Amino acid sequence: MIEVKNLHVSFSNNHVLRGLDIRIDEQMATVVIGRSGIGKSVLLRSLCGLIKPEQGSILIDGEDITMCSRKKLLKIRNKIGMLFQEGALFDSLSVYENVAFPLTYHHLFSREEIDRKVRTYLDFVEMQEFLDAMPSELSGGMKRKVAIARAMIMEPKYLLYDEPTNGLDPYSSAIVEIMIKKLQQELNITSLIVTHDIELTHFIADRIALLERGIIVSLDSRKDAFREDSLIYEHFIKKRERIQQANGY
Amino acid sequence: MTKNESAREWLYAGKSILFVYGNFFYWLFKEPFPYRQTGEQFIRTMLEGFGTLMIGAVVQGLFLAWLGGHYGGRFGAYIWAGTATTFAIFRETSVLMAGTLFASRVGTAFTVEIGSMQMSGQLDALRLMAVEPTQHIVIPRVLASIISLLLLKALSDGVAIVSTMFFLKHWFGIAYPIFLEHAFEFLKPPILTQSFVRAGIIGFFIGLNACGLGYYFQGGAVELGKTTTKSTVINFIYVLMVDLIFQVVLETTGWGTV
Repeated sequence: MIEVKNLHVSFSNNHVLRGLDIRIDEQMATVVIGRSGIGKSVLLRSLCGLIKPEQGSILIDGEDITMCSRKKLLKIRNKIGMLFQEGALFDSLSVYENVAFPLTYHHLFSREEIDRKVRTYLDFVEMQEFLDAMPSELSGGMKRKVAIARAMIMEPKYLLYDEPTNGLDPYSSAIVEIMIKKLQQELNITSLIVTHDIELTHFIADRIALLERGIIVSLDSRKDAFREDSLIYEHFIKKRERIQQANGY
Repeated sequence: MTKNESAREWLYAGKSILFVYGNFFYWLFKEPFPYRQTGEQFIRTMLEGFGTLMIGAVVQGLFLAWLGGHYGGRFGAYIWAGTATTFAIFRETSVLMAGTLFASRVGTAFTVEIGSMQMSGQLDALRLMAVEPTQHIVIPRVLASIISLLLLKALSDGVAIVSTMFFLKHWFGIAYPIFLEHAFEFLKPPILTQSFVRAGIIGFFIGLNACGLGYYFQGGAVELGKTTTKSTVINFIYVLMVDLIFQVVLETTGWGTV
């Protein structure tokens, strides 16, 4: 379980997270939604120790990553995989090399074992035909799929997704959505997804949190979150309708 | 852009460079040493720098041949044209030429590459895989930069001498045996040694400055463009400063002078 308590993060004078609290339950898909630039990615980066918070604690299976040594942090990070925006594939490596990278770098398995694992995960994300392709030859959706395979190859307990469908066409978005759902259902991964994509949220979320003014203002089950009297419905659906109506549409 | 913003940007660039110096020496002695990546970067920097530095060496030869031939003729000292030009190449011009060209060709490539890796989250992805980017990205490039600049400088010395010989013969009719008769007379080992030590030090600074500016890069495409320009300017200044410091030390100690 991941538990965040009173998290404060700021950059110069910009106080992004202002005492955020959230609990990510195991084997569930928790979606954090919020407007662009509200601090969703900052939350994810803090959770894997890429950003050091000013205040607060982040407990991953009971261990506070804000207080632990670098060595300990690396160990805890083994439990976490992350899908970055745009995928963050290494440009100079092929699809196969990208997925194999964490294993080959740390010499964790024999060459045959690595090969088997890479093919298994690329098969899982339906990218087995693109083993030798370079990232520049792939579409946005394909890059995300390869990035999912790379995040999965270390068999993490938690998978964090940073805007997984951002900038994708509806077809590619649907494929990525299905991929996340498949991971959730077949491998029982605990997922935390930050997004402003309401369709993705509706499709995969078990629980939905709304991030506003640097804190989580609401945390509901999917069913409750999409009720007409919920804060999430108010912020993401009604507000949109109101803006459209105000402009005569 | 206001003066304050510009000053802040340059201050940040300076801070980035200082941080990467500290990081470089901290991670240099930690396991695992990136042998494979260093080898890959060495091949890459050799291939990238070769063409530019060799063209530079030919131009250098052309320039020195013109000066040597022109003044050699004016003072009736054709016989010393070979000595003067070869001495100039080893003592001064080849390191400066190789350093500036290497900074423009390879240094800027490092800044853009690492800067765009930072922008697209690739450095964070490495950290998340328990791979320290300084070890995996910076150290191999800096070491490759040192070794490549040494080798490319040695090659460009040869090319510059041959092209000087060729142009002196072509323009001023100075035969090869006359050129070669006194060409290497004053080239004592300390002159060669200091020339290569200087190239190694310049290679180190070019690699580290360029990587540091990319590594601590913040912003988008416009900022990356500005950072790349800064990388070139800062490295040019470093090449000149290292050269100046060497001149002062050499003249003071008498090491490497004739």
